[in-house]
Amino acid sequence: MGVILDPLYNLVSGVIILFHNLLRPIFGTDSGVTWSLSIVGLVICIRIVLIPLFVKQIKSQRALTALQPQMKAIQNKYKDDRQKQSEEMMKLYKEHKTNPLASCFPILAQAPIFFALFTVLNGIAAKTPEGVSAPIARGFLKGDYLDSAAQATFFGAKISQSFLGSPDTTVKIVTVILIFVMSATTFTTQRQLMVKGMPKMDSSNNMMLQQQKIMLYLFPVIFAISGVNFPVGVLIYWSTTNFWTWGQQFYVIKRNPTPGSPAYEELERKRAHKNKEDKRGASGTVIDPENTEPGQNSQEGEVKGQRKQPKKKKKK
Amino acid sequence: MRKVFVAVINAYQKWISPAFPARCKYYPSCSAYAASAISHYGLRGVAMSIWRLMRCNPWSHGGVDYAVKNQTNSSQKTSVGVH
Repeated sequence: MGVILDPLYNLVSGVIILFHNLLRPIFGTDSGVTWSLSIVGLVICIRIVLIPLFVKQIKSQRALTALQPQMKAIQNKYKDDRQKQSEEMMKLYKEHKTNPLASCFPILAQAPIFFALFTVLNGIAAKTPEGVSAPIARGFLKGDYLDSAAQATFFGAKISQSFLGSPDTTVKIVTVILIFVMSATTFTTQRQLMVKGMPKMDSSNNMMLQQQKIMLYLFPVIFAISGVNFPVGVLIYWSTTNFWTWGQQFYVIKRNPTPGSPAYEELERKRAHKNKEDKRGASGTVIDPENTEPGQNSQEGEVKGQRKQPKKKKKK
Repeated sequence: MRKVFVAVINAYQKWISPAFPARCKYYPSCSAYAASAISHYGLRGVAMSIWRLMRCNPWSHGGVDYAVKNQTNSSQKTSVGVH
């Protein structure tokens, strides 16, 4: 087990120590701010590494627009056979070497990092059976660093303490707030995706949607149950990574939404509206021939009053 | 033992998976694949499932991939992309 876990402890503690060294001239060596921000730094590093994967997924989702007619055809052809429908859909993706789904592995790959952080932070708070504090060094978090981290606080709560593991009221209050933040960010992220980010579902998907809705409300409860066992530092990590997910999704839904989703239609409307305004502003009510794409010239004869906006006009 | 594994996977499919957007690139999904692989092959099925999860990565194109061949109409109920 050590062969697998030691490199992970080194990685997690190494990044934290690196950020600690960068930040301590500003906030002080033993400051809780330094240690808390070091954990945030770890999140930022991990999420930056994962950005290319995210971009790749978005790109293949967009490539799907071209397959839309074939997808519709499959949906109609196998209306009553969900299994066949899914099979044909997957075949279509494979044929065109584009798959809009995120894949299962990356989530699993993050779990060991999370577990390593959990163990490293728990090591700081370790006690002997008699209750005497006896921190366990893991990875690069040892010596002076370990002593300093053991004293570090986040809004008055030691980052190595957990709700169930500490009698301290401050720790209890801080963990409850962090669990609330975790639940709230997950909830908003999921809701945002369901309401705006996904293509409208037909009735055959209703049951799935219903199930998702139940989960949406059940998840904060699951967080509350597991969160009471986690040290404050892990909760900081979790909350930060949730904020990142939310921000990333917000950006994509706003700027580059999935075709067919409500957010996509909204953006199309906005773009169409903006195109109209731009053109009016540039040359009264008539379109300036020099500003239009070559392909549109054939339409010029009928460009009077309310003409339909070209759909594929790209902005920026 | 097989039943325990399958029960855990079923619980995941029922309670955890629906909370997240569909993500699996294959049909059937990794979890459905694992459930059928383990109930048919036991330990070998566990290895197959791990290998399947490794294949379900950002660089794969997914596709249709059953653990047990000729199992086109199984009792394993799965929905699109649920992982």
